[in-house]
Amino acid sequence: MSGGVDSSATASLLLDAGHEVIGMTMRLYDASEDERKGRGGTCCSPAEVDLARRVCAQIGIPHYVVDERERFRREVIDPFARDYAAGLTPNPCTRCNQHIKFQPLLQRAAALGAEAMATGHYARNLYGEALLRGVDPRKDQSYFLFSMGREALRQVWFPLGTWNKDDVRAYAEGKGLPNWKAPDSQELCFVPGGNHGDVVQRRAREMGLSTDTLQPGEVVDTDGNVVGDHDGIHRVTVGQRRGFRTRTPERRYVLKVIPQSRQVVVGDVSDTQTSRIEVGELQRLELGASGEVRCTVQVRHKSKPAPATVRWDGDTARVDFDAPIRSASPGQAAVFYGEDDRVLGGGWISRVEDRANGPLETPKKD
Amino acid sequence: MRYPPAAVINLDHNATTPLHPRVRAAMIEVLERTDLGNPSSTHGLGRACREVVEGARRRVAAAVDAPALGVTFTSGGTEADNLALLGGAEALRKAGKAYGVATSRIEHPAIVAAAEALEARGVPVVWIPVEPDGHVTPDAVADVLRTHDEVGLVSVAAANHELGNVQPIAAIVEAVRAVRDGVLVHTDAVQALGKVPVRFGAWGVDLLSVSSHKVYGPTGIGALIHPTHLTLAPRSFGGAQERGRRVGTENWMAAHGFGVACSLLDESLQQLEALTPLRDRLAEHVRAAGGRVHGAPALANTLNFAFEGAPGELMCMSLDLEGIAASTGSACSAGSLEPSKVLLGLGQTPEQASEAVRISMGRSTTEADVARLIDVLPIIVSRVRKAHAQGSSAS
Repeated sequence: MSGGVDSSATASLLLDAGHEVIGMTMRLYDASEDERKGRGGTCCSPAEVDLARRVCAQIGIPHYVVDERERFRREVIDPFARDYAAGLTPNPCTRCNQHIKFQPLLQRAAALGAEAMATGHYARNLYGEALLRGVDPRKDQSYFLFSMGREALRQVWFPLGTWNKDDVRAYAEGKGLPNWKAPDSQELCFVPGGNHGDVVQRRAREMGLSTDTLQPGEVVDTDGNVVGDHDGIHRVTVGQRRGFRTRTPERRYVLKVIPQSRQVVVGDVSDTQTSRIEVGELQRLELGASGEVRCTVQVRHKSKPAPATVRWDGDTARVDFDAPIRSASPGQAAVFYGEDDRVLGGGWISRVEDRANGPLETPKKD
Repeated sequence: MRYPPAAVINLDHNATTPLHPRVRAAMIEVLERTDLGNPSSTHGLGRACREVVEGARRRVAAAVDAPALGVTFTSGGTEADNLALLGGAEALRKAGKAYGVATSRIEHPAIVAAAEALEARGVPVVWIPVEPDGHVTPDAVADVLRTHDEVGLVSVAAANHELGNVQPIAAIVEAVRAVRDGVLVHTDAVQALGKVPVRFGAWGVDLLSVSSHKVYGPTGIGALIHPTHLTLAPRSFGGAQERGRRVGTENWMAAHGFGVACSLLDESLQQLEALTPLRDRLAEHVRAAGGRVHGAPALANTLNFAFEGAPGELMCMSLDLEGIAASTGSACSAGSLEPSKVLLGLGQTPEQASEAVRISMGRSTTEADVARLIDVLPIIVSRVRKAHAQGSSAS
């Protein structure tokens, strides 16, 4: 229970259905600077932990807080800092779902004699056999869940998968839950205020990483001409327009980051397009050992799923899009959806074929 | 199962104790009085309230064999410990004496963290070695003093908050005096009070901390005991209450409850003796079931044990769901995964130290309560072990 309305409503719904319910909240990181200055907290912050405790007291269920700060640092914050410092675009929410949310809590659930674990995610779990999109298209969180693994899928319930967010809020209000109108969290929980650059810089220094790449550098176009400057490669995100300055007024997007020379390559919107990506660390929820499938592929949480052909072998895959798509970035997740909104599998984008990065070689078996 | 269960079996009395009915009645009586003002005021209302505070002071003093003017009320055990270390070391420094602090790693966080804070300010801190069974020997203390001229203050708890073992405070004081004069000896007697006789005078210590809510009194009050004229550097500034050692308007209603609780200590000492066979029965059961018992228990009410492969956090949650309140150790460190510092201090591995479960009985504990614990323990241990083993192999 994060302290938000979704997990609070989930607990209450399960109680309504006659289940014996235990609330559990993870402490993931210490109060941030912003929070100490009174600028409010995000998911799993100490203020939100208090809110979860209050909801449990109100609906009359036990509540436990477990400390996963060390694991969260190791599995989420450190890779986040390392990736940005290496010019990649990390996806910490999916990492969190892969390493933090399920296994450590499922283990505790089993230790307490619980038969299942439920979360407030907007996704559907079909009898533990298949992961489907949530029915509320604005809230669907299946993109972040592809990495949870088959084992966890068998033991986790998503009661809100068939709910619309508005109905969840109305239900929570009816139950008198104190957080029924709390705003949806949009930013990364450990980066309140949205300035991830400072977090990366601080953590990289603490980790003893080389901070050479975090110095200001040049912004170049695809021909190598210097067109502007930036404050550090960790402050830019591929596909975005923030974190750098150019001398010309055209809209420029980050195409690529070259950590060795601290150069950020920018181009116009057409340059951000790609028709082919390579995916690693493949999670084959519904896929066999190797093969080829026609499906739709989503490369960001909010991006439109695009029709594509996926060819995979073991834990790597290549995705050929029917038409070019925008803003696929190394480090982001690519999730494959089949019929009926089923998640077939997904993985982490390792390489992108576009103007800045050049072509991917043709795969051996084609 | 309904939550919360109809009746919780409280086996966590070392964390806090419920108000004694006679304390509650006495507190209600003073709360209902309308003739009480600020104890520092010169008028009748002030004098009447002053007498409430001084009555409480006399009762606390009598319970620990100390002069009444040697009782300085604080907000609790933590503040008393902090005042002893920080105020004691500072007073020694100002007097031009050795002001280093010697204490052990198994002390309550109120001592360990205060020592670390002193260390950060440049005060020399020496950690006294502890025996594997949790005892601090007089010889170990004497060795530290002989090899560290800079030490001017020694702090060893009379009874350990997690393990329940009792330290030979009188012998430690004797060993300190044999090495040199002028060293302040402090003992945290928060867990000892009401469970073993606490004797400020007979032990010969200079400073002694006690807390009300561990002896069936209200929270928010404790005391630091000292000789009548001992100089302590204050930690707070303002008026002249508590002879300048701890200023701020006296918490007279809590002080009154604390005083009454102290006058009932003989009763709780007797009740506690009856718990010894229950503790021993539980220890026997734990050992027979393959568990281990930590330390050499001496307090009749406390047992610290562990089952290999069963984290204390999950054990305590499971017990809670069965309606049994237990603890992984000091409540001050609950809610964090950090393994018990006490057990780490005894040389256990972090994994072993995170397996500790502390049971602490009280005056209302019955044989049936312990029987219930013994009933559910094997089921919980096997479930937690199984889940934990799977989790470890999966990650």
